[in-house]
Amino acid sequence: MADNKGKVVQVIGTVVDVEFPSESMPEIYTALHLELGGELLVLEVEQHVGNNWARCLALGPTDGLGRGVEVTDTGGAVAVPVGQATLGRLFDVTGRAIDGLGPVDAEESWPIHRPPPPFEDLTGTTEVLETGIKVFDLITPFQKGGKVGAYGGAGVGKTVIITELIRNIAREHSGVSVFAGVGERSREGNDLWNEMQEYGVLSSTVLVFGQMNEPPGTRARIGLTGLTMAEYFRDVEKQDVLLFIDNVYRYILAGMEVSGLLGRMPSAVGYQPTLSTELGDLQERITSTVNGSITSFQAVYVPADDYTDPGIVTTFGHLDANISLERSMTEQGLYPAVDPLASNSRILQPQIVGEEHYETAREVQRVLQRYRDLQDVIAILGIEELSDEDRLSVARARKIQRFLTQPMFVAEVFTGIPGKYVPVAETVRGFREILDGKYDDLPEQAFYMTGTIDEAREQGEKMAAEAAA
Amino acid sequence: MPANMRTLRRRIRSVSNTAKITKAMQLIAASKMRRAQQMVIAGRPYSERIQGLLADLAAVHEQEEDVVVRLLEVRPVQTTGLVLVTPDRGLCGALVGNINRAAGVAIRDCDGEVVVIAVGRKGRDFIVRSGTDLKAVFEDIGDRPSLEDTRPISSLVIREFQERGVDRVWLGYSRFVNTAVQRPEIATLIPVAPAELEPGKRVGYIYEPHAVAVLEELLPRYVEMEVYHAILESIASEHSARMVAMKNATDAANDLIGELQLALNKARQESITSEILDIMGGVAAVER
Repeated sequence: MADNKGKVVQVIGTVVDVEFPSESMPEIYTALHLELGGELLVLEVEQHVGNNWARCLALGPTDGLGRGVEVTDTGGAVAVPVGQATLGRLFDVTGRAIDGLGPVDAEESWPIHRPPPPFEDLTGTTEVLETGIKVFDLITPFQKGGKVGAYGGAGVGKTVIITELIRNIAREHSGVSVFAGVGERSREGNDLWNEMQEYGVLSSTVLVFGQMNEPPGTRARIGLTGLTMAEYFRDVEKQDVLLFIDNVYRYILAGMEVSGLLGRMPSAVGYQPTLSTELGDLQERITSTVNGSITSFQAVYVPADDYTDPGIVTTFGHLDANISLERSMTEQGLYPAVDPLASNSRILQPQIVGEEHYETAREVQRVLQRYRDLQDVIAILGIEELSDEDRLSVARARKIQRFLTQPMFVAEVFTGIPGKYVPVAETVRGFREILDGKYDDLPEQAFYMTGTIDEAREQGEKMAAEAAA
Repeated sequence: MPANMRTLRRRIRSVSNTAKITKAMQLIAASKMRRAQQMVIAGRPYSERIQGLLADLAAVHEQEEDVVVRLLEVRPVQTTGLVLVTPDRGLCGALVGNINRAAGVAIRDCDGEVVVIAVGRKGRDFIVRSGTDLKAVFEDIGDRPSLEDTRPISSLVIREFQERGVDRVWLGYSRFVNTAVQRPEIATLIPVAPAELEPGKRVGYIYEPHAVAVLEELLPRYVEMEVYHAILESIASEHSARMVAMKNATDAANDLIGELQLALNKARQESITSEILDIMGGVAAVER
């Protein structure tokens, strides 16, 4: 098919129309190659618009592209290298290595568009994955082979959480990790690359990047590129894979950017009419099968902190655990800024996490909910008007809020406090004891940015000693 | 964001209802406060005179040391009685908390047993919770009590003291200093400690039939008066504190309404903008 050639007939920004002979129109999702300024530019067929025109999405910059340029049909979808050779490497959307270490010598290449695994192959384990971060382990326990989303507006700490999870889980994890950077800061790719080398986990990691400096076609496909590489390890090598995606919303956004150019009528709030299909194409493939598992962690940007945004609502349904990051928490300096009342996990059930853990988590939520309900009363009438029981639960709620904070390893450069890893059992014990009123005498500040409850007690005693001196 | 707008509207409505109530309570408290303050001030001259007379009598009595006047008798303390005067109702800021805390500290620091005579529901609740012995409870004294209304309280403590149920009686109440300041006060009521008379200030009354007899008659009146006065002070404090607390609450509620209104306006603007954008986008797409 390599001799099937066409010509560029129209360029609208990042969308390119190519004319082919009527008997040899390339199929949808076929990759086309053309040469532009000495570089290879890959186009992907999205639509047949009539007149023997194929409407294509450019997976690279189209600057300088003109009509009449010759285009070659590759006869297949964009294929990326997969397998052992990809480990430790850094890729762009078309599977080219961009780490400057030369070409990748992979035995196999897989197309990035693939059907999701059939239903009968799907499995669900109910094994809990420890993260070492108190608020996640308590309120939103992660499931091995499950999908976790960290939601939040701009600058509430999604990326910090994802990188902390990489640090805590990928380092302990014996299998393969894949990180897909989708439309986020390009600097972060560099940081991650260096950090991974430092931790010595780069050799079991694949990194793919299509960051915010790339055109929308790239950002709309980079998630699939990373996912395809992860799928190979799951389906062929039968391994347990960790997949980190930062940020899934940029994938939706990229689709939205090109949707109009592709001639689709905008839907609610300007989203592409194919929003849920597009997201389904990606999310349905991120799943665990009888062969192996993919545990995924996805950051989801929430535009204007609006959780009713169609892009966000569509994402919710695909995930097993939802972590909501709240601006009001960051404003109080509570990091990680997880809202324990809006976050949830499918596996927070007594049969899975145990009665003690379940009860503690629910009671923590109850106390915090009570505090939130009382907040208007406190704002209007003052704390004196509360009954003694309510005052006690407010005091405990504030302690719990502070104890839910935790210094992060990756944020040490910002906070100056070394990170803490807290085992689940310790987390549950700590909250249980606060709820039981064991620490009613400690000041709430003692619980701020601590690891285990014993550290909080030490800090409280130190503060008391300082106050006395 | 219609869902968000709806919750904002609902909150604004509920907060403004609260503000209406607190505003009404503020105005009621203000008018009650004026009357209560007048009653406190009106009672002061009588109280001063009775103290002066008491001082004079006590000076006479001191010369006859062998005679024991019952309400002046200082005994080793085993049991202390505390008359705790508090409001019946809340929503008066820190007042209840302050007087109860002062009482709690006094009870804790007291050697020996303490039994409490609670005047007012808030104090009763506090004492019941703290697990201290409760001897008697008086409630619903009202806003304009007469001496008749408070006499059962004073006769109870006098009887208790005379029958050696308690060896000392404290009186705890909120002293009305001014509208903004009320101070919790816990003072010894019985044994009565008459003021020291300055030398040369003695008038030299001649008491009929006898100074001690007059003193015996006068001291219960004095105790009655003190209890009555403490209750008046407490009522005046309550209404002042409530007025200030409700004013603050109304202000806070109005601030909150302002903030919510701003958020609502923003949300409304946003939803209009996005609706317009949707329509414009749709039109543009159809036209092409």
